[in-house]
Formats: sequence, structure tokens, C-alpha cells
Amino acid sequence: MTLKTEPFVVNVGPQHPSTHGVFRLRLTLDGERILDADMVMGYLHRSMEKLAEERTYTQNIPFTDRTDYLSAMTGNLAYVMAVEQLCGIEVPARALWLRTIMAELQRLASHCMAIGIFANDCGAWQTPVMHMMRDREKILDLFEMACGARLTLNYMRIGGVSRDIPPEFMPATRKFVREFPKKIAEYEDLLLENEIIVARSRGVGVLTADQAIAHSVSGPMLRGSGVAWDIRKADPYAAYGKVDFDIAVGTNGDVYDRFVVRIAEMHQSIRILEQALDMIPEGPVHAQLPTATVQPIGQPVAPLALRPPVGEAYGRIESPRGEIGYYIVSDGSPAPFRFHIRSPSYINLTPLKLMTVGATVADAIVILGSVDIVVGEIDR
Amino acid sequence: MEDTGTVVAFWILATVTVGSALMTAAVRNLIHAVVFLIVSFVGVAGLYITLSADFVAVTQVLIYAGAISVLLLFAIVLTPRGSRDNAESFLRMPALVLALLTGATLGYVALDTEWSIAGRDGFEETASAIGEALLDRYVLPFEIASVLLLMAMLGAIVIVRPEGANEEGAE
Amino acid sequence: MRLDAKWYDLRDIGNAVGALLEQINDCGAPDWVPYVVSSLIGVVGILLWTVLSVLAFIWIERRVVGLMQNRIGPNRVGPFGLLQPVADAIKLLLKEAITTRNSDKVLFWLAPIVVFIPTLVIFAAIPFGEKMVLADLNVGVLFLIAIGSINTIAVFMAGWSSNNKYAMLGAMRTIAMLISYEIVQVLVLLGAVLFVGSMRLGDIVAWQDDYNTWLLFMQPLGLLGYVIAGAVEMNRSPMDIAEAESEIVAGYHTEYGGIKFGFFYQAEYLAGFGIAAIIVSLYMGGWTLWGLEDWVPGWLIFLAKMYGVFFIYIWFRGTLPRLRIDQLMGFAWKFLLPLALVNVLVTGGEVLLWQEAGLSAGEALPLFGVVNIALAGALVVGWAIALGHRSRERVAHRAILTNELGAIYYGEASPRL
Repeated sequence: MTLKTEPFVVNVGPQHPSTHGVFRLRLTLDGERILDADMVMGYLHRSMEKLAEERTYTQNIPFTDRTDYLSAMTGNLAYVMAVEQLCGIEVPARALWLRTIMAELQRLASHCMAIGIFANDCGAWQTPVMHMMRDREKILDLFEMACGARLTLNYMRIGGVSRDIPPEFMPATRKFVREFPKKIAEYEDLLLENEIIVARSRGVGVLTADQAIAHSVSGPMLRGSGVAWDIRKADPYAAYGKVDFDIAVGTNGDVYDRFVVRIAEMHQSIRILEQALDMIPEGPVHAQLPTATVQPIGQPVAPLALRPPVGEAYGRIESPRGEIGYYIVSDGSPAPFRFHIRSPSYINLTPLKLMTVGATVADAIVILGSVDIVVGEIDR
Repeated sequence: MEDTGTVVAFWILATVTVGSALMTAAVRNLIHAVVFLIVSFVGVAGLYITLSADFVAVTQVLIYAGAISVLLLFAIVLTPRGSRDNAESFLRMPALVLALLTGATLGYVALDTEWSIAGRDGFEETASAIGEALLDRYVLPFEIASVLLLMAMLGAIVIVRPEGANEEGAE
Repeated sequence: MRLDAKWYDLRDIGNAVGALLEQINDCGAPDWVPYVVSSLIGVVGILLWTVLSVLAFIWIERRVVGLMQNRIGPNRVGPFGLLQPVADAIKLLLKEAITTRNSDKVLFWLAPIVVFIPTLVIFAAIPFGEKMVLADLNVGVLFLIAIGSINTIAVFMAGWSSNNKYAMLGAMRTIAMLISYEIVQVLVLLGAVLFVGSMRLGDIVAWQDDYNTWLLFMQPLGLLGYVIAGAVEMNRSPMDIAEAESEIVAGYHTEYGGIKFGFFYQAEYLAGFGIAAIIVSLYMGGWTLWGLEDWVPGWLIFLAKMYGVFFIYIWFRGTLPRLRIDQLMGFAWKFLLPLALVNVLVTGGEVLLWQEAGLSAGEALPLFGVVNIALAGALVVGWAIALGHRSRERVAHRAILTNELGAIYYGEASPRL
């Protein structure tokens, strides 16, 4: 005997405590089961790609902070790498190592936030979030020491970093690296074996390896599905070729595996940091940039602006969310002709419908939390 | 039923019970009708208390107001919207006549009978008395009733199961 | 008990009330006056105490949960934030209690009241001291369960009358949850009643005092079942699915604001106190503490125990994440219900053994206690394993660390913790 029921549409967001920003998900529900999930994005669109075409290359660096505002260092890094590729600039060694250190610190901060918010989505009323914030604050203090800002860092420059680290940075970072593994152990104790978190996340939101590769997913989502692919190993940039670390891989492609992969990546980041702090050489932190074209005689002195040769470049790195890439097309003028951001959150969201159909509403929230989106990146 | 307290309580409870039962039939919105029905259930429980039947009163609240009303509410929620109105139907006149006739019959019987006073006092512990009776004299009906309930539960599970729908509150 | 029965004997406020009633009787008032006066005193006393407790616990809960989360709780309003509950109450009173346009106005207005009243009525049956029970019912335990079951209707009314999909979803989830755990509650409390042989709460407390033991040693499975079922009745974390803030905004009280929300809020705390009071009366000896009640007033002991049990619930809230609704119901039907049935069986057998074999209390009770505790432990672990909680799909594990780029590890076994 079938009961005649009607599916109804529920709007999750844009104002919702759990959608990680202004993001709207229209779920078609039949009771508690999801039949269809439709994403509506664009609430945070700030037309960065178009605005960047009006500004010089150096003026565009703060934009890259604000796309992925939770991991600004990696956004900066991908962009300046693209421009350096285009211009053929060689970055001094100290700058490369500093970039590595900052990127790994940023990865720790972002994963702290991701894990805390994931536990929050599972319902643990802010307690893990508060513990994570406490530790993220220490990392943000280090950033403030290095470049004066906490969130939108603007630290990388084309050809190096903006300034050298102050003398108190190294001891503080060493202290942090010594103490942080204890904190990760605390989180593992509280969360990894927690029966309720395991019950909420195992078998939920499964993405097989083939599906993940087909949807060009990257980052912890891809590694959670079992594919060992990390751009730091595949296409080494900065100083990653010289440090020793492993790739963390899950086996089931569910939410729990992504969570476990992020925790393991935090351990690996600490490992990289320990090696980098010992191996960092002295030297300049910024390359000598090629000057601009000839100054016309008899005219007022024009400010020097970087004019890359005509061409295109794609700079990509492994951000905490996946592969972030900047595709720059230059036409010889001081402003880019085309400035495109390949944002990991946007691409990682494409299999969301695949993962949520058949699950319940509570699962949809948890799955969205495990994708770890930043809406600034999605909408640009 | 001698002292003032019981009499006052009886009249208040009787008014509430009968009044809400009448409203159940008269009100248009079905959900409101169920709410009035719940009020009349609680009124009946109060009447049981005036008769010192405490176990029955509490069980009345637990089963009727707590469980059966939820069943009725679910039944209403699952009804398509069109028939969710306690509206006019062409059977109003016959129903009214029938109700008046039944009421008249019952009233006449109630007033005409020679009601006798009960020969024994009330029970001290109604719960244990009921329990002993259920397992002593009335054990066969008790067992049959529980088998019947088991059949009902199994039937509900069988009805709900094949489509795998997430029936909320499946008992 | 060993009380002096003088009116100034504070160890039992019932003494003072009894002396007052005697005075009234001596003055030749009609018969019903003592009843009315004693009920009034009881009602006013309970009202005052519950309101004050709720105010105090709003502050305590926020500070304690804040400490668990490594932050200070409210500390701006008044010294140490002590006036925070007052500020909350004033805000709720002054806010506009919006009634949405398409809602069912009567039910919308009625729902908070119907939610609030049962939580107050529970305290009528609970013994705070030997003579401090407002209504010493013969069917006390059943009365408590019956009052708790009215909650279901109130929640449905709240969800339905809001005319809001989220509220309806929340209400449906809550009703499913409440019905499932009501059955668990009844069976679990049945075990305690079997031991004592009476449903009167005063008798249960007296039994625990006479035999110098707490029922929680005799009924560990019962305590476990009741603590969990109680958390569900209270709609508190880890079972606060109804108001799961991170999922369906606020469930069945999404549309409520102002003092209507204040009623829901207060009802949640009062239900918590009620459940804590039931646990204390039934499983933890009520107002007795192995003889301490000769010096310290019984009601103070009771309150201390009750607040202690409520603190454990606050602890749950600060620590545990939330279960999904179908997991929660599966837990009730597949895990707790069989355990509760086994508990009833074993308890019945033990009581029969005790009566038939003519054992004295001194030998029977420790034996039963040890057997029950061991059985509880074995059953919980064994049944969990039988239901597959330790199988490969449900167990925590770590990530694989590798250096092979491009390898695919999907579907392999993960290293155990």
C-alpha cells in the first residue's frame, strides 16, 4: 500500500548557521531523504577577475588574499608563482623557504578551522571549535609578527616575499612546532574515536576514486577517496622538493576519511615545518625585478611597473582545500589581460549532488562541512 | 460524593469534558477538533480521580492524551488537504436527529434506573488490585489482548516496509 | 523518621506547614481550608523555587560550558555576569512576540503554555523531604511518565501552528523520538518499581533508606536507560535534534520569539530539573544520605543531588556531538529496548528469588547488586558487538601515509588506531 506523498523543497541558506558563508542549497526532500540537491552560488560575487584587469600585477596581490580568506598565504603564493613563471623571475632561496614555512603554517590554521567546523556540524556545540580557535590564534600571532596582518596577509610579492621575518619569529615558531603535536593529540583523543562522530560520518557522502578523478576533485577530498595526488609532490614548488613528507590517503571516500586525512596532513605539516626551520638559509628575500621599458626623454618619469612579456602562465599549488591555480594571460601591459582563478572549492562542490542524493538532511550538512568550502573562492 | 470539594470538582470536570466533546464535533478545523478531544480526555481522567481510581486516571492520560491523540494527529496530517475541514456535509440533519435520539435514550435510562450504592469501599491500592486481577482472574483476556497488540505492530511494520519510506513515528 | 516534628525543625519544612494547619484546624475553620492552604503553600513554594533555579542555572550552564570550551562565559552584566539571567528575562519579556500571519493563532499561542505546564506539574509528585510532597500519589511513577507524554502533543502543536516547513520537520522528528523513548522509559522504571513493590515515590525513597542502598547499584541498566531516555525527553544535547541549530535552524520553535520563546526555554530547564529529580528520587536515594539527613535538612541534600545530576547533563551538552534521528531511533528500538526487557526479566527473577527463598536483605541485596552490575556491563558490551558496533565499517581508523604518487588506495583496509 503506497502512501501518496509529495516531495517538498527546503532551502538551506543563504542565511543558515551551517552553510559556511552565503551559499544556498535547495534540497528536494521526501520525508527525510534527499531526492535532489541544487546549488545556487553567487551571493558573494565581487567580480574580482574583472577588477583585476584594471590593476597592475602587484596591486592584484591583495585580491588573492580575499578569494580564499581562510588560507590567504596559499592564494598569494599561487598568483605570484604564475607571474614569476610568466616573467621568468628566479626567486632567492631564503624567500622560497619562507614561502614554504608560511604556506605550511597556513595549512595548519585552515585545517584547524575545517576540523572544528566539521565537529560543529556534527552537533558538538562549539566545544571543538573553541579549542581549534585557541590554537589557530597562535598561528595568527605568528603571522602578525611576520607581516602585520592576521587574515588577509598580502605577504608574498612577485619575486619573493614582502619583508624578512623579525628575529623573534624563529624562536616563537620553534616553540609552536614543539607544542602543537600535543594539541593535535588532544583533538585526536576527543574526536577521532568518538562514537557519535564515527557514526555520523562513516559511510556518509561516499565518493569513489573514479568519481573523484572524473570530477577533477582535488585536495583532501581526493585523497580521502584514496587517490594519492599532492601537487607538492607532483609538481614541486617553493622548497617542497627538498623536504621529506608523506601523502595522507584515506580508503573509503566518506566524510570520516576526509577528516582523518586532514588530521594526518596536520602531522605532516609539522614535519615539514621542523625541517624547514632548520634548513632555511640566509640571504635576500626579494629578487631584482626586470625594470620597465625605456623612459622616454623629456617626459615626466613614469613609475616603474612590471610588464611581463606577452604570453600566458598557470601557477598552481596545493592549498588546504585542493589545487588552487591562477591562469594569467598577459598582453605586455602593466595590467593582466585575463586573470582567472581555478578555485578548489568550486570544483570540489560539483559532485555534491552525487554525494547527497539518498542521504538525510542532517547528512547533507555534514557532507557540506567535509568539502570545506570557502564561499569567497567559489564566487570570487 | 458528599463533601463540597468533590461536588465542585465533579461539576467543573463534567462541564469541561462535555463541553470540549461538543466542540470537537462542532469546530471546523480538524486539528482544533483533536485538541478539544485531548481536553475531554484529560477531563475524563479528572473524573476518574474523583472516583479514587488513580491508576486508571493516570493510564488514561498516558495512553489517550499521550499516544492515541498523536495517532489521530498523524492520521490528520497524512490526509490530503481537501478533506481537512470538519465542514458541512449533507448528513448534518440525520446526524443531529440520531444524536438527539441517542441522548434521549441514554438520559431516560440513566434517570429511570434505581442506582444502588456500592457494597464495598474503594480499593486502597488500585494498581496492585488491577495487577492481581489481570494476572489471576483475567489472565486469558490479558494474554489475548497482548497477542492482538503484537499482531497490530507486526502488521504496521509489514505495511510500511516494502517501499522503505521513512515513516516517522512507526510503532 | 527520626525528626523532632517541631515547627521550627528546618530539616523538614513539612513540620512548619503541619503546625500551621493544626492552628487553622484549632481555629475551627471548615474542613476544606487546610487542604487549600497546604496546596497553596506547596504550589507557591514550587513555583518560586523553580523560577529561581532556572535563573540560577542559566548563568551556571553558560559559565560551565564556557569553561569546558576554554573561554569565559558571560561576565559583563553584573559582577561575574551574575545578572545575565535577569538581563535575558527582561529581554525576552520586552521583545515583540511575533505571531506570523498564516499561523494558526490559537494553537500558536497555546503551544508554549502546554509545553510549560507539564514540566511544572512533575514537581508535585516528587518528595523533597519526608513531609514535603505536594501530592503523594499511589501511582507516582506512572504519573510522572504520563505527564511527560503530554509533551508530545505540545511539540506537535508548536510545530504545526508555525506554518513553517522547518518547524514541521522539527516537530515530526521530536515526536518520533519522544514516542520511542517513552517505551524505554516505562520499561526501565518498571525495574525499579519491581524491587520496591510500590509505585509511590515516598515508598521508593523509604525503601532505599531502610535497606541502606541506592537503587542505582541494583539497577545499573535501568539508570543507563533512564539517563539516556531522560536526555531525549529534555530535548538536550546529545539529543537536541529538535532544535538542532546547525541543521534546521531551530526546529519546532523557529517562529517563536519574545516571551513565547521564553516559555520554551524555561520549559527545557524545568524538564531537565524534573528528570534529574526523578533520577535522584528513584535511583539515588532521594532526600536521604545514609543518615546524614539527621543533621542536614533533607531537602538540601535532595537539591544538592539534583543539581549534581543536572550538572552531568550540562557536561553532556558541552562534550558530545549530536546523533542523527534515524540513528537515535535505531538506538532506542534495537539497543535500549531489548536491554530494558532483559532488565525487567532479571529483576523479576531476583525479587521472586528473594521472596521465595527467604533470604535476608543483608545477603540478598549485595548479591543482586553484584550480579546486576556484572550483567549490565556484559550485556551492554555484548549486545553492542552483536549489533555490529565493532565491525570494520564502524570503527575509527587513521589515514594511510604513502609516497607513491598517483596510487589509488580506494577500498583497501585502513590502519587501525
